[in-house]
Amino acid sequence: MLRVTSNMMSNQLLQNLNRNARSMNETQIQMSTGMKINKPSDDPVGITYSLRYRGEIASNEQYQKNVDSALSWLGFTDTMMDQAGNVLHRLKEITVQGSTGTNPQSALDSVSQEVLQLKNQLVDIANSRLNGKYVFNGQQYDKAPFDFPNYLDGSIDTSGAYVIQTDHGSVEYLVGENVKIGINVSGNDAFGSGNDNVFVMMDRISHSLLAGDQSAVSDELSNIETSLERILTMRAEVGAKTNRVELIEGRLKDLDLNLSKLQAKTEDADYTELIMRSQIQENVYNASLSAGAKIIQPSLVDFLR
Amino acid sequence: MRSTFHSIETAKRSLFTQTAALSTTGHNIANANTEGYSRQVVKMQASLPIEAYGINRSTAPGQLGTGVEFTSIERIREQFLDDQFRGENSSYGSWGIQYDTLDKLEAIINEPSNSGIRKVMDQFWNSFSELSKNPEDPTARKIVKQTAESLTDALNHMDTQLNNLSRDLNSNIEVKAKEIQGYLTSIADLNHTITRIESAGNHANDLRDQRDLMADKLSRIMNITVSEGAGGYNISMGGQSLVEGSAVTAAVDSTFLGAAFAGGDLNSGEVHGMIISRDTLLSDYQSQINTLANTLVNGDVTVKLPAGAMPPAGTILTSDAEVSVSGVTSTVTAGQPIPAGAVLQKDVSTVVQGFNGLHQLGYTMDGSTDPGVPFFTAADGGSVITAGNIRLNQVISDNPDKIATSMRLSSDGNSVIKGNNDMAKLLTTLKDSMFTVPGGSNSSTINGLFSSMVGQLGVQAQETGRQTDNASFLVTQVETRRMSVSGVSLDEEMTNMIKFQHAYSAASRFLTTFDQLLDKLINSTGVVGR
Repeated sequence: MLRVTSNMMSNQLLQNLNRNARSMNETQIQMSTGMKINKPSDDPVGITYSLRYRGEIASNEQYQKNVDSALSWLGFTDTMMDQAGNVLHRLKEITVQGSTGTNPQSALDSVSQEVLQLKNQLVDIANSRLNGKYVFNGQQYDKAPFDFPNYLDGSIDTSGAYVIQTDHGSVEYLVGENVKIGINVSGNDAFGSGNDNVFVMMDRISHSLLAGDQSAVSDELSNIETSLERILTMRAEVGAKTNRVELIEGRLKDLDLNLSKLQAKTEDADYTELIMRSQIQENVYNASLSAGAKIIQPSLVDFLR
Repeated sequence: MRSTFHSIETAKRSLFTQTAALSTTGHNIANANTEGYSRQVVKMQASLPIEAYGINRSTAPGQLGTGVEFTSIERIREQFLDDQFRGENSSYGSWGIQYDTLDKLEAIINEPSNSGIRKVMDQFWNSFSELSKNPEDPTARKIVKQTAESLTDALNHMDTQLNNLSRDLNSNIEVKAKEIQGYLTSIADLNHTITRIESAGNHANDLRDQRDLMADKLSRIMNITVSEGAGGYNISMGGQSLVEGSAVTAAVDSTFLGAAFAGGDLNSGEVHGMIISRDTLLSDYQSQINTLANTLVNGDVTVKLPAGAMPPAGTILTSDAEVSVSGVTSTVTAGQPIPAGAVLQKDVSTVVQGFNGLHQLGYTMDGSTDPGVPFFTAADGGSVITAGNIRLNQVISDNPDKIATSMRLSSDGNSVIKGNNDMAKLLTTLKDSMFTVPGGSNSSTINGLFSSMVGQLGVQAQETGRQTDNASFLVTQVETRRMSVSGVSLDEEMTNMIKFQHAYSAASRFLTTFDQLLDKLINSTGVVGR
């Protein structure tokens, strides 16, 4: 028969109290951090998932930032192309005016003036910058794609426009694991190259107007159409890319939600359960305290006189 | 033939014996809370009766009792439990220390958290992603520089902490060696004293308790075998003798313990746990974190160089590449250097040596057309990177424009196309690339290397925690058995006290009665006529 001694009882009580206090402490840690994994040994399998989710969430956040930048670039390009389209529409209107009917030379001169103004505006658009980047010069966006010299009177000398080759390098952003998307439109694709170039064409129209050669002006109408067509095509492409990026954005947001859910499932503590457990542990602790107080106190000494 | 005062003598013996028993009860009560104390009992025995068989035997019938005497005061203790306790105690010592080390390692690794290595690594990769959007932006470059430095700082810091832990363990072993030597000396001294006392036929109970307590304490520190010989306890560890009687036969220091560990004699106890912690656990994690750093910087990784990229002249690719030099297209076979000005016509997969190898295929933004420098360097200038020596290349730290982001030169070859972000993108994608550990064959992503290390630590800490709990439970079990045998029960002592007290009172009463008997005989008998 096991002989029970005084110290055994107090040791046992101490041990029980300590064990209860330890589990209470664990519950407390989980309650205060809100996490059920607070160190790797809490759940060695869970921690590897947890680390992966955390890593993926971090890169997902970055991809979403990249998507935002891509969308802003695409949106800006679209706006600029829209403006370029407006300029070309106006050009078409006044060109039609200049090529039809009987116009005195003075009227043709003023139309020519407007053509030059429109050209200036189009040059500005073609050299437009987003965050300091020339959006129509491919990867060489640190240089203006249509960098024309000025005449003494301040007007722009676009005579060299037909030789201009804008950079065809694609500006690509990372929008997912190994997903790259090119977001830029090359200046030549938007504004034509060689004799097709809008600036060359506008110079031709302006010269023909000044020379009073209405049929030559009229001949340019089809070229204006081609340029408009080009702009529209490019806008459609930008629109399609925007759609694609938006789809990716949606997917990234879904993924983010999924990953966050998975992370929460792996890492987060269940408060309902914790509070229940904490309550139970507290009760057990109190019970062992009061039982201990009763066990330890009396000994034969108390009953001897 | 009995004497007149025979019973007075009997009563006296009884008084003496019961007093001795009472005193021992008092001694037990006094030591109820003394560590290592085992309760003592007075062994009583009826003293030799008179009238032994012999020639002078009287004719009186029977043997007349002469009362009581105590033959010894013995401590109640079970040797088997002592041995068992010491075995379990050593095992608990070893597991406890290992658990403690792993617990500290968990604190050092500090996962899951928002400030650990994994977090700075994420920031590092993301900063490259950000840079790929704005390669010409000085702010983005400074951020890459900062995050790269955070990463190296975090690795350096972890290395320092691991080294500190290793140093702590070293000095703990030294301290424990001194402690061991202290116990050995005490045990040898006690052996001497106890032998001296016991040669006179006594039981040196309290000294034996002390000696057993020493042995118990020693057993927490290392595995010992205790055997009792003529000269007292002989203590040995495996095949190593430590104490022989009154002589300490070993000079215990850290070297001695190290050799004993290597030789297999030291196979349990706290010191064993410390050596395992230092040489196995800690060094394993140190080497894993070093491998992580070295793999990131130097490990083989396959990258796909995009069409249009212009690898620096002399670059050696590991697969055939279709290139165009000044408009003339040709194929550079694997292993041959790329000629100057060559433009890749198609994507080419090639193996590069880690982050550094890839970075050196790109062009910087400092105005030159120089290819990138090694991104990370070793503080000591060597080529092998460790968590302790990894640094951001000083050149980049001084001038973040030296971070290579472009893979394209202008057609005349005189300037770098700044808006080309191919290198920045490639560096970013290394996050998800499989690296081959230098000198090894297994491949993993950098994050994968890290999380497998954390996972392993988790499993190990959990398992060790379980073993520690088990060992602690066993120690408690045996200790309870021992307490059950040797511990002082106050209730029992009280009961005994009353028993002895009553015996004492009764003996006194017997003496009084006999006194009255004699009084009657001496003072009241034969007084007729007085």
